[in-house]
Amino acid sequence: MLWFSLLVLIPLVAVIITASSGGWSAFAHQLGNEQTASAIWLTIRAAIVVTLINVVVGTVIAWVLVRDKFWGKGLLEVIIDIPFALPTIVAGLVLLSLYGTSSPLGLHWANTSMSVYLALAFVTLPFVVRMVQPVLEELDADVEEAAASLGASRFTTFRRIILPSLAPAIAAGAALSFARGMGEYGSLVLLSGNLPFKSEVASVRILSAIENDNPEGAAAIAAMLLVVSLLVIVVLDLVQRRMVRRG
Amino acid sequence: MAETRRAPRTPLTYVLRLVVIAYLGLLVAWPVVLVAWNAFHVPDVGFTTEAFAGIFGDPQMMHAIQLTCMAAVVATLINLVFGVSISLLLVRTEFPGKRVLSALIDLPLSVSPIVVGLALVLVYGGRDGWFGPTLESAGIQVIFATPGIIMATAFVSLPLVIREVIPVLEEIGTEQEQAAASLGASSWQTFWRITLPGIKWAVIYGVVLTLARSLGEFGAVKVVSGNVLGQTRTATLAVEEKYLNFDQQGAYAVAFLLASVSVICILVVFVLRARGARVR
Amino acid sequence: MSIEVSGVNKRYGDFVALEDINLTIPTGQLTALLGPSGGGKTTLLRVIAGLETPDSGSVVIEGKDATSLPVQKRNVGFVFQHYAAFKHLSVAKNVAFGLEIRKRPRAEIAAKVEELLELVHLSQFANRLPSQLSGGQRQRMALARALAIEPSVLLLDEPFGALDAKVRKELRDWLRRLHDEVHVTTVFVTHDQEEALEVADEIVVVNQGGIEQIGTPEQLYDEPANDFVMSFLGDVTTLGGALIRPHDVEVTPSPISEHSLEGTVSRVLRIGFEVRLTVLTDDGEVVTAELTRTHARALQLEEGVNVFVTPSPGAYTMPAPSPAA
Repeated sequence: MLWFSLLVLIPLVAVIITASSGGWSAFAHQLGNEQTASAIWLTIRAAIVVTLINVVVGTVIAWVLVRDKFWGKGLLEVIIDIPFALPTIVAGLVLLSLYGTSSPLGLHWANTSMSVYLALAFVTLPFVVRMVQPVLEELDADVEEAAASLGASRFTTFRRIILPSLAPAIAAGAALSFARGMGEYGSLVLLSGNLPFKSEVASVRILSAIENDNPEGAAAIAAMLLVVSLLVIVVLDLVQRRMVRRG
Repeated sequence: MAETRRAPRTPLTYVLRLVVIAYLGLLVAWPVVLVAWNAFHVPDVGFTTEAFAGIFGDPQMMHAIQLTCMAAVVATLINLVFGVSISLLLVRTEFPGKRVLSALIDLPLSVSPIVVGLALVLVYGGRDGWFGPTLESAGIQVIFATPGIIMATAFVSLPLVIREVIPVLEEIGTEQEQAAASLGASSWQTFWRITLPGIKWAVIYGVVLTLARSLGEFGAVKVVSGNVLGQTRTATLAVEEKYLNFDQQGAYAVAFLLASVSVICILVVFVLRARGARVR
Repeated sequence: MSIEVSGVNKRYGDFVALEDINLTIPTGQLTALLGPSGGGKTTLLRVIAGLETPDSGSVVIEGKDATSLPVQKRNVGFVFQHYAAFKHLSVAKNVAFGLEIRKRPRAEIAAKVEELLELVHLSQFANRLPSQLSGGQRQRMALARALAIEPSVLLLDEPFGALDAKVRKELRDWLRRLHDEVHVTTVFVTHDQEEALEVADEIVVVNQGGIEQIGTPEQLYDEPANDFVMSFLGDVTTLGGALIRPHDVEVTPSPISEHSLEGTVSRVLRIGFEVRLTVLTDDGEVVTAELTRTHARALQLEEGVNVFVTPSPGAYTMPAPSPAA
């Protein structure tokens, strides 16, 4: 408990306190800085778009992994986890190799805002898949067969039976993916070029504030990200409770 | 998984399969393969392992790798002990504030690494952190030193062991532990002989994942380390630096090393899980 | 006296699990704690074992006050409903566990394990893992494991509850024979009255946190202390405002005493060798009667036939509780 407090709780409280040390107006002033506001706005936009992509694609991936069967499926299982285990700086480098200046596809996304979306899509890939997959595995085929025997088409069965059972898991995955997206830093360093007003994200702003010896400014943005994280935790907690109650 | 009945195949099945393969291929598989390729292949020269020779011949680089390994191992050990004990606490006991604690445990998963770094600097910073100056006068430097790197690493990988162990602890229940107690085992003996073997695989997955995450931590470490060459520069920081210094070959080589370790970690977990599923 | 429980109370929040329990269990007997689910019998067993602490009251095992002793020190053998097999240990290692904890010499442990596996007929499975055994075999392993520590009392919590009917019956007979061989004081919890009647020397009927009656199977069946015990141990029906067992109801074509009541057969149900009749009396009472098939055929019973129902001589009856109660 003491270790947890020293390592996690007290430092995070310090962020909040430093952010609020100058009062509300100072806090608003820090966030109101044009460059900062632009970075935050880009981060939120990218995190939302990427989360939506993950909700759709992640669910489809989970579906294919559980219900389909083909040669090389095991490989896909491993690929899903790579973004999670790969060092983020390496992730940036990895994406740069395909989407950078020497792209074999001719896609020169480096140093554009596209690179932010790309990097976030990469690092948040596993969250929805890994939350949905076990639930889908546990889902009784009986239930689907029962729905079919009652006359439901496959689409209706999916929409009215399967999707509602998956919804909490999808929500949990989306929450985690959104949080990760909001706070991403490592994979963007090399890929996005951190151009102000163009491809600079919130985390990068925090770092430059730290480097410019402006802890209040850094803490203000950090506090905002922290609030997002806390909200995500609350969502996760509620969702998990709901899943437990359903058994 | 074997007993899951599969839906009959329709054109949609193949479309979905194709979409998934294309998405994962473009986003993950192809770029990762390219990094491996770039690590060994220099334009106009062909294949070479020169870049690796460069890494292993560079004492500062070797130091960075050693530091990374050391911090990762220490952080993993801390999280192993802390993770198993907090899991036991959360599953086997009741106390006020338990729900809050169990929710907070997940916090490091959703907090930006940069925020983690900043938070640690604010508290343990040598100049004007909360505890920093006190620790400094006691001769302990945290920020811009190894302890800070370890703390940052431990912070970001904190929930991984716990998230693996808790569901297993809940599933195995308390009957075996009660049976051991009724046969005369003390709580310590029960833990070592009954509980720990029961959660063994979960602990191993957790440790492997923690290790992978710890080796690759970048953002939080960047903030707390100061990136002092030959002292607090970790392998991930070296990748950035090499790349920015136009030593692309070197950057790709270090990246390849780090990526190999993390891919190996995933494979280990993958194989263990498949094995575990069969045993069960 | 092997186990003495006095004045034990246990609550979980507002729920009273045990209320002022006083119970003495004699040495060497096989005692059943019988009652409906949620009645407190498992809690009582766990209090005796030391797996639960009572809010008040005391537990004395073999003359020693065990109330404040932790489960490790009580030297009780406990067998769990779901076996609580140590999944990572072989059958032999499971049985050896308690002895290893007690740091017995290795040769002694090996000999004891072999002897016990012999006793529970699991010798050929010594090196298997519990997951490779059937439910019945796992439960026998759990029993051997509990017996290994030579417990002063053996406590079994619904030991056959998770098994299917046939295995259940086999194990029940086997437990009785085992007890006659080993003679350790044994208490087992069950909600199955047939199991209790067949196996136990003495039955303690537990309901709603209290003890309803203590007695031998015959006493309980023939002279139940109240309507709860009577209806829990076997079928009951009402006849002339009294509780009576259906097999104590005589069915005749004409009245045989002044207690005979006239009625109409409303349902005939054949179950194997016996026939169960539902008779609607002219007073509007629904009476169930059980007859042998031969007897029923002789009376030419079918739906709509007029009959007289009478308590058979010497039948045990008690006033039925008023519906309001």
